[in-house]
Amino acid sequence: MMIKKIVCLVGLIPLLAGVCTARAWQATDQERARERAKEVVPFVKEYQDDCQISRRICLMDAGVSLDDVKEVYFLLDSPIIKEREDHYEPVRFAHKRHAALVNDCSKCHHFRPRDENALETTRCSACHQDSFNPDHPERIGLKAAYHQQCMECHQQEAKGPVDCTGCHLKHVPDHKELVKLPDNPDPIQVTKACLECHDTQGEDMLKTAHWLWRGPSPYTTGHRKDILHGKGTTALNNF
Amino acid sequence: MHITRRNFFRFMGAAGASVAVRPPSVHAWQSQAPPDPFGCLVDLTRCVGCRKCEEACAKVNDLPEPERVNCQCTIFEKDRRPDDTSYTVINRYYTGTVDVFDKPVPTYAKVQCMHCQDPACVSACIVGALTKDDTGAVHYDVSKCIGCRYCMVACPFEIPAYEYYDPITPRVMKCTFCQERISKKGGLPGCAGICPTEALTFGRRQTLLGVARKRLKENPGSYIQHIYGEKEVGGTSWMYLSSVPFEEVNLPLLPDTPSPKLSETIQHSLFSYLWSPVLLFGVLGACMARFNRGNDQKQNNADKGGA
Amino acid sequence: MEHKAGPMNRPLWTPGVLVMLVFMFAGALAIIARFTGGIGYVTNLTNARPWGIWVGIDVATGVALAAGGFTTAALAHIFGRHYYEPVTRPALLTAVLGYTFVVLGLLVDIGRSWAIWKPMFHWNLNSVLFEVAMCVMIYLTVLYIEFVPIVAEQFKGRVNLPGLLSKLNNLVDKVLQVADRILGKVMWIFIILGVVLSCMHQSSLGSLMLVAPTKLHPLWYTPLLPLLFLTSAIAVGYPMVVFETTLATASFRLNSEMHILAPLTRITIYLLGIYMLLKLGDMLVRGTWVYLLDGTYQTNAFIVEVLFGVMLPWAMLLCKTIRHSSKGLFTAAALVVGGVVMNRINVFIVGYRSPLSENGYFPAPSEILVTLGLIAALMFIYRVVVTYLPVLQESKEVS
Repeated sequence: MMIKKIVCLVGLIPLLAGVCTARAWQATDQERARERAKEVVPFVKEYQDDCQISRRICLMDAGVSLDDVKEVYFLLDSPIIKEREDHYEPVRFAHKRHAALVNDCSKCHHFRPRDENALETTRCSACHQDSFNPDHPERIGLKAAYHQQCMECHQQEAKGPVDCTGCHLKHVPDHKELVKLPDNPDPIQVTKACLECHDTQGEDMLKTAHWLWRGPSPYTTGHRKDILHGKGTTALNNF
Repeated sequence: MHITRRNFFRFMGAAGASVAVRPPSVHAWQSQAPPDPFGCLVDLTRCVGCRKCEEACAKVNDLPEPERVNCQCTIFEKDRRPDDTSYTVINRYYTGTVDVFDKPVPTYAKVQCMHCQDPACVSACIVGALTKDDTGAVHYDVSKCIGCRYCMVACPFEIPAYEYYDPITPRVMKCTFCQERISKKGGLPGCAGICPTEALTFGRRQTLLGVARKRLKENPGSYIQHIYGEKEVGGTSWMYLSSVPFEEVNLPLLPDTPSPKLSETIQHSLFSYLWSPVLLFGVLGACMARFNRGNDQKQNNADKGGA
Repeated sequence: MEHKAGPMNRPLWTPGVLVMLVFMFAGALAIIARFTGGIGYVTNLTNARPWGIWVGIDVATGVALAAGGFTTAALAHIFGRHYYEPVTRPALLTAVLGYTFVVLGLLVDIGRSWAIWKPMFHWNLNSVLFEVAMCVMIYLTVLYIEFVPIVAEQFKGRVNLPGLLSKLNNLVDKVLQVADRILGKVMWIFIILGVVLSCMHQSSLGSLMLVAPTKLHPLWYTPLLPLLFLTSAIAVGYPMVVFETTLATASFRLNSEMHILAPLTRITIYLLGIYMLLKLGDMLVRGTWVYLLDGTYQTNAFIVEVLFGVMLPWAMLLCKTIRHSSKGLFTAAALVVGGVVMNRINVFIVGYRSPLSENGYFPAPSEILVTLGLIAALMFIYRVVVTYLPVLQESKEVS
């Protein structure tokens, strides 16, 4: 069992390896999201004050669909917020997944800029920037816009986290300071180091589909239809 | 007892003169609220009870870290009040509303000094240690305080707290509205700056009233149609919007009259330029002169003490 | 009417005095605790209940009961009823001691006792408390000045200080002579000033609660509060004199001074009547009688206060036979005094409602000990003073 646990955590290696073996590999979408998060776009002063239904119709008329979602995920880490405070790690926002689940763009893209040349959908931080702007007192700041939008919907749908650490990562200390690994660690050594502190997470892992899944893995090449594969049954897990 | 008539009339002349030169009338009571104070609008429908404001407040004001900062499980079980270690607290109230899953919906309410427009505490303070300044903050100057706690008696919101366990130099503790921070351009109170949902909106009081009215108008049904603090006790710098009756979240029902109005009116109409004491002195002096005239001679040799 | 006040020349250490000393000692311990552990350590005061018995009894009641000083002074010296002069000295002594202990009580109660001088330099003219403080401060000085002739009368020409201080005998004697001579000429100013100052702060003591309209029970909260405080202070003046003179004469086995006290209380009928009319009229006009039967302890306290502290003694005083029996008179006077004491306690403690928190307050034992200790100390000093200074009327002993 212990060995099974160890091996399963091998999946976490890239994360730690990224730390240990100085930039061996970087996730490109992660980098892109990071770059994008740094951008501050010009403030949209005037907006079209539509009701939600007409907004929805507008978006449908414009033919906005799931295919228009170019970025799969965003990192919500705007300097607009960080200028005032920096208490939490950024939130990873799976834009495409939310779009697919909600299936109503007007829920978040609730207004559009009055400027007719502007795109139908704008990023949050175009309209919501610094809090308590005396020129636009009714406009809430970016931080509040995120929180209100996310939490309200999560509450209404009874889905998704509403607590702080459900979305924000905790401030993770640099593990180079915490863990001492040999120069070229093998997967088992790494997993062992992880489990030294995160033993409960190791236990939890054993109860998830990542560990127990028996059945086809439609997104894994070669395993698409084979019901005998799946993590609960493959030899890899039982190593 | 011995009054020579000359002495008496000399004195009465002076007294009479001082009454006569008293400027014609005592002014009607006027509000001394600053012209364009800052304020804060608390929207209880937005508050999620994260207590980040408590944490930020403690940090900004060098107060001890709030009880159980990172765990909201049991802290709300007791109704808390601001005290000498915390300027603000969040309380949770279940007022009977339920959500679509029949789960009771909590309302969270922040408590802190309301920074009244015409604060009772400022009027009450014997030494003027409490002042309402131009930012709208009710400021406490510990160097003047004598610790009489009359401010605490006067406050209609029961806000000032006292360091009861300090034997020699106790202070009155209450929200400062982060006066130093908001005096600087772009400065925010610790709590308003950190609030994740902008349940706290900071700005000029007048602007906030506009924002509040707009919110009430644009969201019919989501709010009680009342801005708590617009008129209560003559208006407060901190104002509340709520979807549940204000009394149910421990915001007391208060009259629109500023608390200090009556006592200040009485005090000033009776005692400005000390006209009434001087007058009374004159009248009593006249009585004394009249009733003792016959006794002057007899009394001269008699006992002078025993006033 | 010839009269002569004199020292009592009785042994000081009686069993009663020893009991007082015990209370003083206990009170002193509690005060030490207050100045080492803080107010919270010895009292049940909270943020919702900032004023307790130290304000309600030591200060407010102390001021009210010292009213005998200015009311008798007004009667005997200003309105020329010299017949009543024998009672002015004990009343003055009560006032001097009463106000001294008001200040001592304040020193214990305020958090920063060492800062008590600050109101002299930082003025807040809007503050009722500021006016009260100023008046009390000046009035206390006036009272001491008024008391100087009594000291002078006893020691003029026979100053005899012990030990090294005896070198100062001549100087002190000179000072006394000069002070007495000057004061004899200007005493009328201080007498009137005393009355004026008393009227000012007795009424303002009532205005104190006006700043908190939502926190005082409506049975007591009225714009008339200052007037009610003033009239009740004036009304309690003579009954207080009756009360303490009767106690003092009984304690020293002196002739009771019924011939003075009985007519004195006839005036009280009018004074107390005015107070009663104002109080009842105010209740009717504002319609607060609707609370009377709601059974809360505040309401009951109000009923007891008005019924037994105002109406009953007033009715008793109307009756001539009661006025002329020393027991009846004493009872009536005690009831008036009790009524005013209760009124002050009601306004500052019982009727005070904290709008948001739990309302319970009962003084802690150590809190009560401080109050009792101060009262005992006051009585002790009264006894010491009347023993050695010419305050009480000398008369044949009735041993």
